[in-house]
Amino acid sequence: MIVCVAVVGHQNNPLYLQSFTEADDALKLHHVVHCSLDVIDERVNNPKRNAPALNETFLGLLYPTENYKVYGYLTNTKVKFIMVTTDLDVKDADARNFFRKFHAAYVDAVSNPFHVPGKKIASRSFGARVSTIVKSFGSGTTA
Amino acid sequence: MEDYPEELRTPPLSLVSIVGCPELHPAISAALSSRQPPMNLLALPDFSKASILARTAKARDPLAPPQAPAGILKKDWLLKHRTRVPAAVAAMFRADQVSGDPAQWLQACSDLENLKSVIQGRNTKLVVILVQSQAGGELSEDVTVALRKRAEIDSKHLVVLVERDEMEWTKSLNKLTTVFAELCTTYYKDEGRRVKARIEKRNFSSVELSIRYCFKVAVYAEFRRDWPEALKFYEEGIRVLREMIGTSTRLPPTQRLVEVKAVAEQFHFKISTILLHGGKVVGAITWFRKHIRSYERVVGSPEVAFLHWEWFSRQFLVFGELIETTSTTVPDTLSPRFGTADNALTEWEFQPAYYYQLAANYLREKRYALEFSSSSVSLTKGVNGLPESVMPSVYVGQYVRLFEQGDTVAVLPLSDTEYTSYALSEAERFQDSYEIIALFRKAYESFRSLGATRMASACSGGMAIEYYAAGDFSNAKQLFDGVAGLYRQEGWATLLWENLGYLRECARKLKSLKDFISYSLEMAALPLFSGSGQGNSENKRKNGPAGSPTISSRELIQQEVINILEGKHASENTDDEFDLHLMEESTHLDIDQISPLRIVFLASVAFHDQSVKPDSPMLVSVSLQSHLPCPVMIDKLEVQFNQSDCNFVIVSAQEDCSASNSHVHDGAVQTPLTLFTDKWMRLTHEVKPGQSGKLECLAVKATISKRLVVCCQAESPVSMGEFSLWKFEDQVEALPMKDNVLAFSGQKLIQVEEPDAQVDLVLDCPGPALVGELFTVPVTILSKGHTVHSGELKINLVDAKGGGLLMSPREAEESESHHVELLGVSDVTTENGSKEEVDSIRKIQHSFGVVSVPTLYAGDSWSCKLEIKWHQAMSVMFYVSLGYSLDSTEEAALHRLNVHRSLQIEGKIPMIVSQQFLRPFRREPLLLSRIRSSSDDDKKSSLAFNESNMLILSARNCTEVPLRLHTMTIVSNDDGKQLCSVQQISGISNEYAVIAPSEEYKGIFSVNPHTISPSFFLGEICLSWSRDSSIGESQDSRVIMKERLPEVHIEEPPLVVTMECPPYAILGIPFTFHVKIYNSTSLLQEIKYSLVDSQNFVFSGAHNHAASILPKTEHIVSHKLVPLGSGSQQLPRITITSVRYSAALTPSASAATVFVYPSEPKFNLEKGYSSTDPCVS
Repeated sequence: MIVCVAVVGHQNNPLYLQSFTEADDALKLHHVVHCSLDVIDERVNNPKRNAPALNETFLGLLYPTENYKVYGYLTNTKVKFIMVTTDLDVKDADARNFFRKFHAAYVDAVSNPFHVPGKKIASRSFGARVSTIVKSFGSGTTA
Repeated sequence: MEDYPEELRTPPLSLVSIVGCPELHPAISAALSSRQPPMNLLALPDFSKASILARTAKARDPLAPPQAPAGILKKDWLLKHRTRVPAAVAAMFRADQVSGDPAQWLQACSDLENLKSVIQGRNTKLVVILVQSQAGGELSEDVTVALRKRAEIDSKHLVVLVERDEMEWTKSLNKLTTVFAELCTTYYKDEGRRVKARIEKRNFSSVELSIRYCFKVAVYAEFRRDWPEALKFYEEGIRVLREMIGTSTRLPPTQRLVEVKAVAEQFHFKISTILLHGGKVVGAITWFRKHIRSYERVVGSPEVAFLHWEWFSRQFLVFGELIETTSTTVPDTLSPRFGTADNALTEWEFQPAYYYQLAANYLREKRYALEFSSSSVSLTKGVNGLPESVMPSVYVGQYVRLFEQGDTVAVLPLSDTEYTSYALSEAERFQDSYEIIALFRKAYESFRSLGATRMASACSGGMAIEYYAAGDFSNAKQLFDGVAGLYRQEGWATLLWENLGYLRECARKLKSLKDFISYSLEMAALPLFSGSGQGNSENKRKNGPAGSPTISSRELIQQEVINILEGKHASENTDDEFDLHLMEESTHLDIDQISPLRIVFLASVAFHDQSVKPDSPMLVSVSLQSHLPCPVMIDKLEVQFNQSDCNFVIVSAQEDCSASNSHVHDGAVQTPLTLFTDKWMRLTHEVKPGQSGKLECLAVKATISKRLVVCCQAESPVSMGEFSLWKFEDQVEALPMKDNVLAFSGQKLIQVEEPDAQVDLVLDCPGPALVGELFTVPVTILSKGHTVHSGELKINLVDAKGGGLLMSPREAEESESHHVELLGVSDVTTENGSKEEVDSIRKIQHSFGVVSVPTLYAGDSWSCKLEIKWHQAMSVMFYVSLGYSLDSTEEAALHRLNVHRSLQIEGKIPMIVSQQFLRPFRREPLLLSRIRSSSDDDKKSSLAFNESNMLILSARNCTEVPLRLHTMTIVSNDDGKQLCSVQQISGISNEYAVIAPSEEYKGIFSVNPHTISPSFFLGEICLSWSRDSSIGESQDSRVIMKERLPEVHIEEPPLVVTMECPPYAILGIPFTFHVKIYNSTSLLQEIKYSLVDSQNFVFSGAHNHAASILPKTEHIVSHKLVPLGSGSQQLPRITITSVRYSAALTPSASAATVFVYPSEPKFNLEKGYSSTDPCVS
């Protein structure tokens, strides 16, 4: 189950962060997402290590922490997507699929002429769409 | 890791034992431990001690049904096998003990028997060592055979040590160690095989035994260094163990779980160690993940959850320590694509810091669980209380109670309740906070060195929370402050909220009102994350003391600050509140451009104009913005400038009504001052700057609720930075000023201009300056309203073509001379005595001068003349600036007024002098040098020796003013005077000659050289001139201008040809034309001459002829000519050729011209005219 998704901007500032848990651990998820930026920095700034993945947007598992697993994705405009899940076994393909759909939703949201680039995403329809994507995660219908 | 027993932490070593001959034990022990792999030696000095090897016999009825084991692993089993159960025992005898004395032999035999009986039932191998002093001899074959039979051992297990011979000793010792090694391998293999057989046959009654067997097999494998097998059985054991949790019923559930975890910990530790020491980092990490995953949910009942978290945290800590001690690196073979299908691991899992951080997190979890358990148990704790004399049992992870009744000591099992309260009381004895802090600190330092700043600050925040929990508020505050910086910078408002919540409480606890207010206001002004709308604010553990960030909590916080300021104690816990009665003075908050409180108050100040004259009014706009959720009432607004005269105060209208009797600033303006959320409050005010210079708005001070003074540094709209936190909010940004231009380009500082100078500075230039003269420029200062105090005139001369300097750098080095020089200043008006005083302040340099100006009152004027001399023709920029102050006070001296004037002055050469040499008329000396080389000496004029030569000097006025030429002379040096006589033939007849612009004056000199010289210096032309206009000027105004004459070449002509011809001819009347050729040499000169016919003349005489001229004589060639045409006529050309010099001499055309009158002219001339020198024409 996905417990949190986040969009992080160029200055490593949160643009969108939504948690999907009943438990009151939103703050903890904020911490988890924030810390994961270090791993993204490490992976992005270390091109030697990631030479074959030059055009790869999916960053993979960033780090496991406590009972969460944090996955990352970097768009071509250097906006970071972060997804936190509690699933023990996440297939790479599922994660990629999720991010692909999430990316599409993000592109639609920022294409809104009333959206100022670099500002937080406050669109309700984006939120609704993200909820749907999150719900469908891992359900096998990710085709 | 240090908590683990030694035997668990190190790989086991084979153990052998020797009995007897204690003096040889050290040597044997050393030999064994230096083997690879080393072996441990259990050395017993004599046979009486052998009993410790004996088995502790358990009186167990072999027929009784197998009892279920009371635990999984016995604590001391491993230690026993490492220290007390040898794989082989060696009985050592000296050779003399077994040979010779039968009593001794018998003793030896009985010792051997004893030893055999001790090790009976075990698989322990027996070795007999015989110690001989020398190889061979002493021992007979019979003895050894008998001994072997007694011991029932193979012949190879009887080792003879030779003591005295070094080589033999080493050899026999080697043999002994080899025998031991073989026996050990066999022993541990046999033991392992024996236990393994039980597992394979499933020959065990309970699952506990199965685990125990696995452990034993693995340990035996470790003894043999068979790591794969050890790993296999450890893994098998832990698998079975994990399955056991749900099935076993031997113990009550809580204790069962504790035991399982304790055993699992040992198994896991062994596996991790083997993997890491084998270099299989990836395997170890993967294994650790699996281990964690299988146990992370096995928390047990909530009362003992703290035990689980403690255990869980220890797993991370120990694994982190293992990784750190084995100093693992990421293997090269691993795919660099971390976290994907290629490589499921992530970078941080190779870092110990990652494990420390998680260990700290879980330990904190334990602290929370413990707090929860303590609070719930303390309520129910009552009658039974703490169970007494609880101690660890012989089994790993079990606790029992000692029960003493008289002499008998019984061991009783514990109930879960008893165990829980025991564990709780044990746990409460420890302060976890400091351990958590230590772990976080370790992780923090490590992450920081890795460059993971966010992770490091998360650890730092963890530390801070622990300090806070432990009551160390100052440490906590310091750490929180450090972390808050990062969150502010990156705009993580929710995290900042939590942080500030803690900081606010720290400030409250530390009784720091100022900090409390600033943290509270910052919190209240934080932007909210849209997602965190609702939250259970009760859960302080997860959200910190501030609860979750909501609009209402922001408003509450702001209200709380206002209440504190107004002295209303809203909350009931008054002991925590600030005692405002003690603090009568107000609290000051300073907000500068980098302060986080910019989101609370921001002051933007812009002047409406770019520059202003002093004392003229102008408008300034002050805008204030606040992101606080509730409207802020400002009592008083004070705007401060760097010129304090401009400061003004705005008092709130409501405030003023209520406190009308309080003194109100004069000039204070009353306006309602309420600051609404996110809206700019714009105020426009008029100020009048009094002084020139920079006028800058420094700060805007707002007084809120009488006690809080917020001092905002003023910011210009043009350079206003963004709010770090609010800039990401999706909202419309209002402009600080209504005027768009001002909002984007307004400045908080303005240049106040100097007042206009009411003094005139007049420079008068009479025209271009002439080189050499003392050129005066009159400067006049005319006051038209201002009084000039301590005036100073600065004069500067600069090359008009640029470059500034009035001389080239090279010239500056060589000489002091300037092309243009400022020579002096002559005062005009202050001639009367005060001149000396003025002079003392004058500073004149070549191109720069400072002249002090006396005090001038309005209407006065003062003038002076600047004297400048040009040494070369050039154009010069002449700058004059007058600086003065309005009165003589110190203060006014700082504000000086300046008037600048400049003038370009051309410097011109007054006259150009040219010269020309002429020979005597119709007299041609043969100058050989002219003939021989025409090219080289062209420039140098040649003069004939002892002949009079004409020098014509012409001075041409190249200025635009008429000049007077006073004298024109040639000044020769002493040599020149003797060797050459120069006489002026015509000169200036009157006092002077006036030369109009572009006219020429010619002077004629006769030069008669008396010496022969190839280069002779005739002298200098010396002209004395003055301007024509300067009538009545003294001799001073005359300028002497000198110019050198070029050098001449003086030589003696060998022949001088003189033509003699009447001054004019009359048509048809014959006349004689003589050509006299004088030979000045002492040689006979042969000449040829030829005459060319001329159409205007007929002549008699030879056309061509030759003649010889004796030395120092003259030859005359005469022709009679009759002119045929009138006018200026060319005489027949005569060419005289000197044979000796092959030089031809033709008189010049002018010399060979004569005017022919048609008839006798009638002249009314004086007689003397014809007799004057024929050269004058």
